[in-house]
Amino acid sequence: MIGLLVATVSFGALLYLAALGELISEKAGVLNLGVEGMMAMGAVSAFMAAHQTGNPWIGLVVGILAGALTGLLHGWFTVVLGAEQVVSGLSLTILGLGFAAYMGKNVVGRPPGAVLAPVDWGPLTDIPWAGPVLFGQAPFVYLAVLVGIATWFVLSRTRAGLALRAAGESASTADAAGHSVVGLRLCAVGIGGGLAGASGAYLTLTLTPQWAEGITAGRGWIAVALVIFGAWRPGRAAVGALLFGGLLALKTRLQTFGVDFSPILLSMLPYVSTIAVLIAISVRARNRPSPAPAALGTAYRREER
Amino acid sequence: MSQAAAVELVDIWKRFPGVVANAGANLRVERGTVHAVLGENGAGKSTLMNVLSGVYRPDEGEVRLDGTPQRFHTPADALAAGIGMVHQEFRLVPSFTVAENVVLGSAERILRRQDVEARVDEVARRFGLATEPDRPVWQLSMGERQRVEILKALWRDARILILDEPTAVLTPNEADELGEVLRHMADDGRSVIFISHKLHEVTGFCDVATVLRGGETVAASLPVAETDAATLANLMVGSTSLAGERPPYRTPGEVRLAVSGLCALDDRGLPALHDVDLEIRSGEIVGIAGVAGNGQRELAQVAAGLRGSTAGSVHLDGKDVTSAPPRRRFGLGLCYIPEDRIGVGLAPRLSVVENAVLRTYKGHRRGPFLVGSRLTAYCRDLVERFGVRTGALGDPIAGLSGGNLQRLLVGRELSGRPDVVVAAQPTRGLDVQGVKAIQDLLVAERDAGTAVLLISEDLDELLTLADRLLVMHEGRIVAAFDPMDSERSVIGEAMAGHLADEGAA
Amino acid sequence: MKRPVLVRRHRPLRGGQPLAFAVGLILALAVGAVLLMAADHEPLRVYQRMFEKSLGDQNAWSLTLNRAVPLGLAGLAVAVAGSMGLWNIGAEGQILAGAIGAAWVARIGGTWPGPMLLTGMLVGAVIGGGLLALVPAMARARIGVNEIITTLMLNEIALRLLQWLIHGPWKDPDSYNFPLTPVLPAQAHLPTLFGRAHFGVIIAGAVILVFGIAASRTAWGYELRVAGSSADTARYAGISLKRKILTVLLLSGGVAGLAGGVELSGTADRLTEGISNGFGYAGIIVAALALMRPSGVAAVALLFGAVQVGGQSIQIIGVPASISTILQAFILFGAIGAGVFVRYSLRLVPTGVDASGEGGTAA
Repeated sequence: MIGLLVATVSFGALLYLAALGELISEKAGVLNLGVEGMMAMGAVSAFMAAHQTGNPWIGLVVGILAGALTGLLHGWFTVVLGAEQVVSGLSLTILGLGFAAYMGKNVVGRPPGAVLAPVDWGPLTDIPWAGPVLFGQAPFVYLAVLVGIATWFVLSRTRAGLALRAAGESASTADAAGHSVVGLRLCAVGIGGGLAGASGAYLTLTLTPQWAEGITAGRGWIAVALVIFGAWRPGRAAVGALLFGGLLALKTRLQTFGVDFSPILLSMLPYVSTIAVLIAISVRARNRPSPAPAALGTAYRREER
Repeated sequence: MSQAAAVELVDIWKRFPGVVANAGANLRVERGTVHAVLGENGAGKSTLMNVLSGVYRPDEGEVRLDGTPQRFHTPADALAAGIGMVHQEFRLVPSFTVAENVVLGSAERILRRQDVEARVDEVARRFGLATEPDRPVWQLSMGERQRVEILKALWRDARILILDEPTAVLTPNEADELGEVLRHMADDGRSVIFISHKLHEVTGFCDVATVLRGGETVAASLPVAETDAATLANLMVGSTSLAGERPPYRTPGEVRLAVSGLCALDDRGLPALHDVDLEIRSGEIVGIAGVAGNGQRELAQVAAGLRGSTAGSVHLDGKDVTSAPPRRRFGLGLCYIPEDRIGVGLAPRLSVVENAVLRTYKGHRRGPFLVGSRLTAYCRDLVERFGVRTGALGDPIAGLSGGNLQRLLVGRELSGRPDVVVAAQPTRGLDVQGVKAIQDLLVAERDAGTAVLLISEDLDELLTLADRLLVMHEGRIVAAFDPMDSERSVIGEAMAGHLADEGAA
Repeated sequence: MKRPVLVRRHRPLRGGQPLAFAVGLILALAVGAVLLMAADHEPLRVYQRMFEKSLGDQNAWSLTLNRAVPLGLAGLAVAVAGSMGLWNIGAEGQILAGAIGAAWVARIGGTWPGPMLLTGMLVGAVIGGGLLALVPAMARARIGVNEIITTLMLNEIALRLLQWLIHGPWKDPDSYNFPLTPVLPAQAHLPTLFGRAHFGVIIAGAVILVFGIAASRTAWGYELRVAGSSADTARYAGISLKRKILTVLLLSGGVAGLAGGVELSGTADRLTEGISNGFGYAGIIVAALALMRPSGVAAVALLFGAVQVGGQSIQIIGVPASISTILQAFILFGAIGAGVFVRYSLRLVPTGVDASGEGGTAA
């Protein structure tokens, strides 16, 4: 049972990192369906860098950079050139998966050069229950928590966050107020990509420390779902991440509990519940605005005349 | 005399392809005054204000603030120089709170919500702008949103505030309150530029008026106290008053469109029409006057079948069409010229041909197929008959000018030989030629025996064209006038909801 | 100082899209060449082999055509929705659902004669794909739920459903515990045309042709364009938006489902997890490159089919097939980059002057 909770938190953090990235990007008005691709790029780059240098932290940094660069490709096409966000994002997924496979073909199945092991908190880890769940985790879990708090703070309590949200709600208003919509959106997409890259690095540096094609296994899509499930709020997304993470953790342990329910069907739940949340939001949106950023998915170009 | 004025616009010229928007316009605004800039649509008011607020650069002429020449490259430059502009379309983020909207673009690095809200509240109180800083903007009425826009300018310490037709979206009460706010600001030493074509507001709360016509200043800085509405009106329209050209009124025929006891809701689900009764007969133009947002838009939509009614009935030539869809009503002879040309009346990305056949495409079928040659022929005929100037008929309509778009739309609607025309703001935003062309078409329809319902915010247009004039206020028809024999001021009172005994129906 | 400004053209450059497409292709080949060289392969030799194995002879063509079938049908599915301004991101899941529907018919109709069974399977495929699109279609038509996310989520749901079937109820008892269904009955295979090309090529071609004509020449297609251009205009013209959304999304799902059925009965001999191979996602790129036009879909699908078949052929000489995935994505990125200039023209204006420009006094 403790194992289940530990795994829940650990999977939850994996999803949360990527979801926070998507949340930041969507808050600025850019839908990026390339999470899966950015994760794959982060995963393979981090693994290869750690493999080369033997230093997992270098791996992490390289993974974040790779994710950010991949994300910025989407930013260039959608924000600067005004391309359709849906098409560009899906192409990014295809590109990221293909590129990662191509890059990593020589390290498939190789042992890791270095891993980011759980942090040793000394005696804290020995606290029953809370010890292993809260203090026996890899650095990524704490990173996810920190990034979650930082995201909440920046979005709701700073000038930069206000401007970023304005760019996602009404780009022309943000522009008229003197903010650069292109700059804000590129920044958001880049950060989003970096976080997806970090999530990918978590996969290959800690969770299953090796590289294989398809290692992301659709978790990027769960991250996209989480943003909606969490109604574009970092706090609610954290709750959702734990729920969805719990499902992932439960999936592999179902048989051991002697429950006769297909783990595969169980893994449909995140997607089914996201559709349900989306429908609920739309029903409610008849009396009040939807929590989705109003300008999400639309390109902005100042009317030149 | 005082030293340099707060704002001086000297001999401003601004040309656009095919149009001279400003032809040597001048404006001098003193500190501490509310200054009206008057003019009809197309007189160059908006262009001049866009020059002042840094959106356009003048081809010739100079902008001076406190006597110092300025060169604005962007609206941000003008803003930094203390010029705030409240546009007709608000630039607000609906999901943000009032305070968030106010500080957007000028916030401190870290936002302390309560602190910011308290300071926004303080500025608001200083100028008599009652707001709740922590409420999201989507919950606010149009008048409250306008206050937020003004607050944004004040927050940035704008010394010169430009309001572009600010009362168009306001109820009369809200308009009065706005007047008080503007007075507050002038007393504070700021300058307010109030763009309008509504005379009673100018005489109501402005100190000085400048009148533009045809891009030129025809009267500069007239003290309002020493003039009257009639003088200003004559300056706006020029010597050739349109009133004399009124087409003769004929005896109307039988009832074509009958609306009784009609109630309907607006987009927000609030009651917009209350128990409206209306009859339009063959061969007459019935005009509906009113301040925008008093139910005219909804009335037109319900009549055309684009909005459901909650009570009452609509009869077309004696047939009950209360729940009939738009296409059926068109088939029965009702055509509709919506106030949103592009996006309702015309499909933006489609070609001229595709837009021309919107009402009649089903008649050009062979089996399930549309016959391309017949569509093109139909469109070519329409374009020629109504003088629409277009490029290739297969090109998107995006390349057409406003006047040509409206000719295409009106032509398409009228070519169905309707019994009833519902026209909402058919000439808004058109140039002089375009206005004339559309008005002539409506009069010709009337003369051919069609019943026309004309909704307009331009009282002069209604006085020129309508055979009967009804006034709407807060979703009701509150008065009826004979346009030949009524005073503008009395009609204006009715539009504001003050009922004079003589005019009331 | 001058700065570049994009100014919208009154109408898109004529013949611009094929040009943009060519730019994309060149960019992709260039990027691919760099990647190949980085891994010590000779780009020209690789490209030559890809070309020969996909378009070099009759057999190569038959493989390419087979590949173009699911790509074209998926692309058409996306384009049908796209012509009304809707995004069906769920083609991938609908393909799986279609394959499931077809496999289900094959399970219950194992003894039926060939034509009847094949017809049944294809009908089952269309129904399967349509059913998967039902929830997004209803949600969009009735309460305005954005179809992008719902269709996307259903991709993953359909994949899990397929996995569950082949790991559980439909698993072949003789498969040594591999997640596979039993092989299809012999008469459940589409007839062969030439080489490896199967009858699905004709089905796909016919479906694309019919939709192409319906979209461009019928009143129905006209109504779709009006509805896609402006919902309010559609209501004004008396076109029922709800019904249009519902039919279009269901049709879109059905067409994608058909791709799954054709793929199952044409190239596979049993239902496996890899039955789709990402055709649904590639179909979105195909449709985007074709600007949502059926005729363009056919052409782009053929090219993407060739790239995919060529990509598989180079594995033998030690080049990862993922290079073809990279090529496909870069064709799109290159084309959307170039496509901007089809709709906009680039002008240099002095800094600080509004783009109307002509009156500005350059500093």
